[in-house]
Amino acid sequence: MSKTYFDETHCAIGHPKSKFMQWMLTVDHKRIGIMYAAVMFFYFFIAVGTAFMMRLELLAPGGQFLDGDTFNQAFTLHGVIMIFLFIIPGVPAVLGNIVMPLMIGAKDVSFPRLNWFTFWLYVVGTFIALASLFTDAGFADTGWTFYAPYSINTSTNVIFTLVAAFVLGMASILTGLNFLVTIHRLRAPGMDFWKMPLFVWGIYATAWIQLLATPVVGITLILAIMEKYFGIGIFDPAKGGDPVLFEHLFWIYSHPAVYLMILPAFGIMSEIIPTFSRREVFGYRAIAISSASIAGIGYLVWGHHLYTSGMADTAKIIFSFLTFFVAIPTGIKFYDWVATMYKGKIILATPMLWALGTIITFTIGGLTGVTIAMIGVDIHLQDTYYTVAHFHYAMLGGVVFLFFAGLHYWFPLVTGKMYNEYHGKISFYLQFVGFNLLWFPMFIAGYYGMPRRYFDYLPEFQIYHQVSFLGAVIFITGLIYMFVVFYKGWTKGEPSGTNPWNATTLEWHLPTSPPPLENHSKVPYVDFNPYEYHHGQPVVKFDYKTMQRID
Amino acid sequence: MDTNTIDYAKERSGYYKILVGLLLLTVVTFVQPHMFMTESTFAAQMIIAVIKGWLILMFYMHLKGEKLIIWMTGFSLFIVFTFFAIVIGVDVQKFQFKDESHITASVTATPEAGHTAAPVAH
Amino acid sequence: MSGPYVPEIAIDRNGNEHIVQGWQGDFYGGKLGFWLFMFTEVLMFGAMFMALAYYNTLHPQDFLDASASLNRLLGGINTVVLLISALTMGLGLLNMRVGKVKEAKQMIWATIILATLFLVIKGFEWRAEYNHGIFLMHDQLLPESSLALGQKLFFGLYFTMTGLHGFHIIIGIGLMIWLLKRINAQKVTPDHHILYWNIALYWDIVHLIWVFVFPYYYMIGAGGATGGH
Repeated sequence: MSKTYFDETHCAIGHPKSKFMQWMLTVDHKRIGIMYAAVMFFYFFIAVGTAFMMRLELLAPGGQFLDGDTFNQAFTLHGVIMIFLFIIPGVPAVLGNIVMPLMIGAKDVSFPRLNWFTFWLYVVGTFIALASLFTDAGFADTGWTFYAPYSINTSTNVIFTLVAAFVLGMASILTGLNFLVTIHRLRAPGMDFWKMPLFVWGIYATAWIQLLATPVVGITLILAIMEKYFGIGIFDPAKGGDPVLFEHLFWIYSHPAVYLMILPAFGIMSEIIPTFSRREVFGYRAIAISSASIAGIGYLVWGHHLYTSGMADTAKIIFSFLTFFVAIPTGIKFYDWVATMYKGKIILATPMLWALGTIITFTIGGLTGVTIAMIGVDIHLQDTYYTVAHFHYAMLGGVVFLFFAGLHYWFPLVTGKMYNEYHGKISFYLQFVGFNLLWFPMFIAGYYGMPRRYFDYLPEFQIYHQVSFLGAVIFITGLIYMFVVFYKGWTKGEPSGTNPWNATTLEWHLPTSPPPLENHSKVPYVDFNPYEYHHGQPVVKFDYKTMQRID
Repeated sequence: MDTNTIDYAKERSGYYKILVGLLLLTVVTFVQPHMFMTESTFAAQMIIAVIKGWLILMFYMHLKGEKLIIWMTGFSLFIVFTFFAIVIGVDVQKFQFKDESHITASVTATPEAGHTAAPVAH
Repeated sequence: MSGPYVPEIAIDRNGNEHIVQGWQGDFYGGKLGFWLFMFTEVLMFGAMFMALAYYNTLHPQDFLDASASLNRLLGGINTVVLLISALTMGLGLLNMRVGKVKEAKQMIWATIILATLFLVIKGFEWRAEYNHGIFLMHDQLLPESSLALGQKLFFGLYFTMTGLHGFHIIIGIGLMIWLLKRINAQKVTPDHHILYWNIALYWDIVHLIWVFVFPYYYMIGAGGATGGH
C-alpha cells in the first residue's frame, strides 16, 4: 500500500537503479504522460514568446525591430511549434495517456513499449523541427502550411521542418494505434462501448483521425522531397505540377487534424460538466455519436481551405455544404452540455470555470467558422485577421482552454495534491479577459481588411493591434500565474485523497492517490453508466478491498 | 481463432487454390488489352486488381470471419475512396482553366499528338 | 513484466467471475494493432495513387504513351515472383502454426530468395530505362528536356512509387531475417507466433500494393497508343 507510480516503475530495457534512467526508460503510461507534458509546455512557452515578439512588432505601423523575413520565420516557428509540437499531440498524449487507461480499468496501454518508443520519437521530431533554427539557411519562412511552389523554391530549410512533421506524424500514428487497440481490448469486464466515459469516446474518435489522416501528410512530404532533390514536377507549375494538389494533400491531413485537437478536448468537457453539475450527462449517446460523426465528416471538409485556390466550382459547393454539416454534431454537444447543467447542483470549481468559459469562447470560434464556410463571405475574409481570430478562438479558446480545464481537473489524480482554488480562479479570469481582448479586435480588423502574416499595416488598424497587445500582456500574465499555481500545488498542496471531486468514473476509484504502479489493484466489473448521480450524490459505491459494488 | 485444431491439409490446399486463382487473373491481365473491354483498358485492369486484392485480403491475410477488422478495413477503404471521388471525380475532372493553364497547355494545343507535343517554353 | 502472466478476475454483483484482459500475451490485440498499421500504409499509397490519378486526368494521352513504353515482360515476371512469395510466406506461417518449425524456416528462406529476385529484376528494369535516357535527374526527365509534361510526371511518379515499394521489400527482407533469428532464439514458437503472423501480414500488404501498382503503370497503355480512350 501507498507506494505510487512515482516510487516504482517498469522499464523498457533492463532495471536501471538511478531515478533519472528510470524516468527515461519508463513504460508506465502515467509517467510517459507527465514527460509529454513537460516537453510540450517547454515548447509551448517558446511559441508563446515568439507570438509575443510578433505582437510587439505590430504595436505600431512600420518595422520596429523585426524585418519582414524574420517576421515570416517567426510566424512559421510559432505555427509549427503550436500545431505540430503542442496542440496535435496535446490532449491525447498527455491526458489521454495518463487518464484513458485508468478510465477503462486497464493496467497500461496495449503496447507499453511502443508507447515509450513513441514518446522518444516525438522528442526526436521536436529536435528535428527546431534544428534548422541553428543552420545557415535558417528556419522555414513559409508559414506552417508549407504551400507549394514557394516552399519548394525558398532557400530556407523547409525540408527539415517537413521531415519533423513526418516524424511527429509517425509518433501521432503510433499513439493513435496504441489507443485504438487499448480501447478495443483492455476495457474492464462489462464495460461495453456505451458504458465508456465520454473522454474515452473522444480519444477513440481522435485515434482514428490520427491513424488515417496522418499518413497523407507523410506522403506529401516524400513527394516534396522528390520534387526538391529529384526534379519531378509534382507541385511546381514551372515543371508541370499543380500546387492545388499540394493543398489537397496537405489539408486532407491538416483539416482532420483540427478535429483531432478538438475531439479529446470536448471529451474533457463531457467529463467536467456532469461531475460539477452533479447530474447524469444529458444525451450520453448523442454526445458519443457526435464525436464519431465529427471525426467522420471531418475527413470530408478539407476543401474549404481551397476556395480561393482555383478549385472547381462544383467542389467548392460540395465542400461548403459538408462544412456546414460539421456544425450540427458540434451544436448537439453544446446543447447537451447546457442541458446537463439545467437543474444541476453546479459547483464553480476552477475546472468548471474553464469549461464554462470555453462554452463562450468556443461558441464564438465555432460560429465565426460557419460564416467563413460560406464561399462568398470567404472570398472577402480569406487570409485576413478574421480567419486568424476564428482559429485562435477555436484552438486556444476551445482546445487549450479545455486542456487547462483538464489539467486542473486531473491535477489531484496525477500528483495526489490539490492546487489553490482561489489562485486558480484568479488565473482563469486573467486569461479569459486577456484572451478576449487579444483576439476579438482581430475579427473587426480582419473584416476591414487587415491581412494576416504582414509585419506592417496601415495606420487605421493601429487601435486594434494596440488593444490586442494589451490583451496579450494580460493573457500571458495569467498563463504564468497558472503555472505558478500548479507548481505551488504540486510542492506544497494539501493531499487531495482519491476522489476530491466526488466524481463517478473509474479513475477516481483507485486504491491510492497518486495511483500505484499498475493502477487498479482490483479491476471492478462495470455494469453501470459512467455518470450516475442521484440527488447530487454518486450512485455507485465500491468496497475498495474487493472492488465489488455495495450500493 | 488460433486453436490447436488446424486442418493442415485443408488450409494448405486452400493456399494453393488461391495461388492458381491469382495466377489465372494475372494471365487475364495480360490478355485483356487484346481480348475484351479494349475500349476501357483502365477500368478492366482495375476490376481485375480489385478481385485479386479481395482474394489476397480474404484468404492470404485471413480476413474471412474477422468481423471487427473487416469493418475497420471497409472504413479505411471508404475514406480513400471518398478522397478519390472528390479530388479526382469532382475537382480535377472539372478543371476550369484547362485552356489558359500552363500545365495543361500541351494537351489542349495538340490533343491527338501528346507524345510529340512541342516542349513547353518556360 | 516478470514471471508467467496470470489473468486477473473481476467479480460482479452476483458473484460471477469475469476474466480481465491484460495487455500481456494478447494475440488478437497484436493482430489488430498490425492491421491498423497496415491501414496507414494503404492511406500512404492511396495518396500517392491520388497524385497519379490527378495527373492522369490532366494528361490522359501522355500517360497512355508513357505506360506503353514500360517493359511489361519484366513487370509481369515480377508480379508472378511476388505472387509465389506470398504463397511461400503463407505456407511457412501455416507450418509454424502446426509446429513444423524446420519447414517454416525453409519457407522463410524461400520467401527471402524470391524477394531478392524481385529486386534484381527491378534493378535490370531500371537499368534499361536509364539506358533509354529515362531516370530521375537524368537526360529526358530533366526540366529542360522536350519530353511532354505528362510523360515526365508519369515517369517521375513511376520511380517514386516503385522505389517506395522496393524500399518496403527491402524492409520485408530485413524483417524476415530478424524473424529467423527470433525463431532460432525460441522467441517465436508455435504457441507464440504473433511476430510471424504480423510479418506475414506485412508481406501480403506489400504484395497487395503491387497488385495495384502493376496494372496502373504497366497495363493501362498496353492496348496500343489509343487504348482506353
